[in-house]
Amino acid sequence: MRHFVKGNPDLCIGCRTCMIACVVAHEGRRIFEIDPDGYDFNPKLHMVKTAKISIPVQCKHCENPACLAVCPVNCIKVIDDAVVIDQTQCIGCKSCVEACPFGAIDMIAQVGTSQADGSKRVVANKCDLCVGTGDGPSCVRVCPTQALTLVDEDKMKEVVNEKRVESAKASTYIFEAKEEQ
Amino acid sequence: MSKYSRYVVADSSKCTGCKACELACFAEHNKKSNGVGFTVGTVEVPVTPKLYLTKLEAYCMPIQCKHCEDAPCLNACQKHAIYRTEDKQVIVDENKCIGCKDCVMACPFGAIAILPKSEKGTFKLQKDKEVVKVASKCDLCEGIEGGPACVRVCPNEALQIIDADCETLAKNIRAAEGLYASRF
Repeated sequence: MRHFVKGNPDLCIGCRTCMIACVVAHEGRRIFEIDPDGYDFNPKLHMVKTAKISIPVQCKHCENPACLAVCPVNCIKVIDDAVVIDQTQCIGCKSCVEACPFGAIDMIAQVGTSQADGSKRVVANKCDLCVGTGDGPSCVRVCPTQALTLVDEDKMKEVVNEKRVESAKASTYIFEAKEEQ
Repeated sequence: MSKYSRYVVADSSKCTGCKACELACFAEHNKKSNGVGFTVGTVEVPVTPKLYLTKLEAYCMPIQCKHCEDAPCLNACQKHAIYRTEDKQVIVDENKCIGCKDCVMACPFGAIAILPKSEKGTFKLQKDKEVVKVASKCDLCEGIEGGPACVRVCPNEALQIIDADCETLAKNIRAAEGLYASRF
């Protein structure tokens, strides 16, 4: 099973630390020490605030990704249980943005590259679970309220099994009640 | 027609954990997609049931979908791959499912699992040759003659279809009779 980061809206306070951590992890630069206009702030997850909730929305790393299915240049691949966009191959066709039902993909101007006419190269951008950084998703690590959890196969099994055990325990009451009648 | 959706519940005091329900579920659903109705020797894909035997220390029972009236899985699915039939059953459209796992997390019973999808005896593959995995949950044997296979095969008759509306009516009548008996 592919891994994904799950947010808990009951804990999220909308501080956007996750977005900053995401940029720090992917830019590979000390963004706090350079001119704010000197770099592009392109986080791979987005804080969504409504009247009721705040929670970052990011890629679910689907088992049958719609984005992967529609990509005409096959630049969306599965690496280490994560669905990852190869931005060097992306042609910016926006098909994946259209296909994703969560709005987890956006288009960004890639730093340091340009097109034949000199204009900026705009490519698709989405959560890659910090694949290759070694420490796992930065957003999960920095969240001050522990609102984000990395759900891997073990975690998923643990959660689902706990629910099954609880519902098995609860349903014994149903039949106890039936016998009493 | 029933007022509420029906569902199957197991009596843990009768269940022996034989998994006949899981096998029957797989065989019955595979008859539709794979054309095989038997398990031993005829199936080359893993057994993928839609109900999940859960063992506790003292007893065991299969856990399956309750076909909730305000289903969290249906509400969580952004792809609209989970829908409600005219019979009020909650069903996953496996061709629409993209395997985002939202429904798995949303279900409070653990009644949904992400399992590989097979068709005609082989795995269904994606563009990148990865196996298609979809949300798998009880569909109350929608479109299958004889109703839920799990109920039919259970050797101890531990499983039964519950119709909350009929049950409530029966209970109401019993309670009314009780009131009559205890009148003063």
